[in-house]
Amino acid sequence: TEPASSSGLSAGTQSPRTHAAHADPLTRRQNGSDTRERPRACAEAPPAGFAPGARLAAAGFQTAQELLDTGPCGLSKEIGISREEALEALQVVRQECHGDAARPAGGSGATRKYTALELLEEEQSQGFIITFCSALDNILGGGVQLTKITEICGAPGVGKTQLCMQLAVDVQIPECFGGVAGEAVFIDTEGSFMVDRVVDIAAACVQHCHLIAEAQQEEDHQKALETFSLENILSHIYYFRCRDYTELLAQVYLLPEFLSEHSKVRLVVIDGIAFPFRHDFEDLSLRTRLLNGLAQQLIIIANDHRAAVVLTNQMTTRIGQSQSTLVPALGESWGHAATVRLILHWDNSQRLATLYKSPSQKESTIAYHITSHGFRDVQPPAVTHSTEGTELNPRKRPRAEEEKQQ
Amino acid sequence: MDWDQFDLNPKTIAALKKADIKSVKEILNLSGADLQRLMKLSSADIQCLLKTISHTLRRNSMLTALQLYQDKDHSTSQHQKLSLGCSVLDNLLKGGIPLVGITELAGESSAGKTQIGLQLCLCVQYPYKYGGLESGAVYICTEDVFPSKRLQQLIDQQHKLRADVPAEIIQKIRFGNSIFVEQAADLDTFQQCITKRLSLLLARGMARLVVIDSIAALFRCEFGPAESALKARYLQTFAAQLHSLSARFRTPIMCINQVTDAVSESEAAQCSCRIVGSRVTPALGITWSNQLLMRLMVSRTSLPGPSPGAASHGAGSMRTLSVVFAPHLPPSFCYYTVQLEGVKGIK
Repeated sequence: TEPASSSGLSAGTQSPRTHAAHADPLTRRQNGSDTRERPRACAEAPPAGFAPGARLAAAGFQTAQELLDTGPCGLSKEIGISREEALEALQVVRQECHGDAARPAGGSGATRKYTALELLEEEQSQGFIITFCSALDNILGGGVQLTKITEICGAPGVGKTQLCMQLAVDVQIPECFGGVAGEAVFIDTEGSFMVDRVVDIAAACVQHCHLIAEAQQEEDHQKALETFSLENILSHIYYFRCRDYTELLAQVYLLPEFLSEHSKVRLVVIDGIAFPFRHDFEDLSLRTRLLNGLAQQLIIIANDHRAAVVLTNQMTTRIGQSQSTLVPALGESWGHAATVRLILHWDNSQRLATLYKSPSQKESTIAYHITSHGFRDVQPPAVTHSTEGTELNPRKRPRAEEEKQQ
Repeated sequence: MDWDQFDLNPKTIAALKKADIKSVKEILNLSGADLQRLMKLSSADIQCLLKTISHTLRRNSMLTALQLYQDKDHSTSQHQKLSLGCSVLDNLLKGGIPLVGITELAGESSAGKTQIGLQLCLCVQYPYKYGGLESGAVYICTEDVFPSKRLQQLIDQQHKLRADVPAEIIQKIRFGNSIFVEQAADLDTFQQCITKRLSLLLARGMARLVVIDSIAALFRCEFGPAESALKARYLQTFAAQLHSLSARFRTPIMCINQVTDAVSESEAAQCSCRIVGSRVTPALGITWSNQLLMRLMVSRTSLPGPSPGAASHGAGSMRTLSVVFAPHLPPSFCYYTVQLEGVKGIK
């Protein structure tokens, strides 16, 4: 008999003892050579050295999906192997099938080459989540960018949670109005997500879109408005409450699976990231390691699922030589986690937003208001109907016209 | 920790027991490489382990905003709030005090903070229909002695304050019996009080409101300027414990705070207390402010009137209650007076 080549499960792991104990007439006859028997368990070739292969065929399994659906307990009963081996077998099948499925999509393990031009085109076609404050959208380069991590820092009461709630509503704006038509995940660690406030913000957003549709009288606007209602918006904000950092870590481990199931999610908000990490840590190096791990997972999530990740952070006092200043919490190394950093602060009674860190936009400060409708500019927007459309997303209009010309 | 209850590979369970890993928290604290090394499993197995325990920890934890809004599950309902006993004040707060989270009431001395605290202790005992939580209150005094005479006055006058509640319901409630008074003059006693007494009372459902009068007194004398890091640690630890009690038992925590002078413009601006019109900022700094869900400030308004210097229980000089920040409220304020029967807002 030829030796089984090993990738995944090799013949060596199958002990002779199990073989004898569970011997049935079929395998006894094929003893020794059945490790090389390859039933068509998957559409493509199953992995080499897939030991229970013959038993699977004998039990009547035709496709990998049936195997996965049965589960380890059922499988071990059906073909008479131990639960441990059933689990290992399922793992191998899963890996093979995922590998096959992922290959055409250019899976995450493979290295692909990009030219800078391709990357530029990809970036330019990337959508932005607008904030309804055009000054803020301008300094951000169009809005909160997908596939990037944006961090919002500020003192309590300055409007971080308000901005997050605004973004959770704005991500759902239909494409014909300049939005990304996505859904939102809201992870709340502080308990500051008040649904009544979200209702106000969502109602104002719907109202705004209705006004635009009336002014422009286009087919697709009317159609989009049918599904863009208050209840619809609320039902697409997925809310998770995490009470401590363990729950937060567990939730982030589960996020990739959740985002794969809900593929329309384009925004993940964690409000706030500092709260669970600022007490309970005797060992600050553990905290740094956990935060770094979290940041890496979030970067992967943002890239793989084309979602924007928005985090809110607290401010803490740094005591300098002669005076104390407010700096974002969680330390210096956390500062590298976010791609874009926005700091909200007060100047007398005016709220200001400063773009503190960005790879593509320059540092600038603008003023904003928080009204009963949500996050807004300081000057009320012009009510003439020619500027209504441009106010919503100035960058969307040129492309729509280009498409019409084509 | 009984690992058999998790849906794990027996090989993984054996490895967990051998590596002496006792809790889910320990697993999540270790890095992937450490776990591989400790348990001698492949990285695929470790990923599977992490996914399984995360699933078990976070099972059934998703809600949509629509579900929150429609109040389907009473235990997570956000619409329920603790009324202040006066419709004007409740309107300012859009219903009252939120049930989960720390609410702060800051102000100068004799502005009426203790009066509002006492009124809340009585309001919490009314049935749900009248804005209460049908349970008692814990009042933690850190500086003064508990004002029991004033409490008795308020109890006697409840029928006058709460004209909206039928008299037989008011008579049935034994107000004095359900207010648990604790004295905690220093940090250690306070720590004991929170971890032992408070969790016991809340777990038994005997109380659903905690009033701490005042939080500043505990911290202002014990820490010198050089120990600000230690003070911040204590503050954060206490706040975290209060938060977790509040979340577990859906109990509002009302912390009464003192104020200090705002030394610079930026400090005054930070807490946005320009509404109050005076240059004071709540004590304990940004470390404490970061822990709060909602901040309210009270102050005496100087008004020209027949008796500007009247005693606080008497003719009722005018005061202002303002919302400094809250996730669901705009910055706003209203006037109120302190009468014999309690705190009443003025339209």
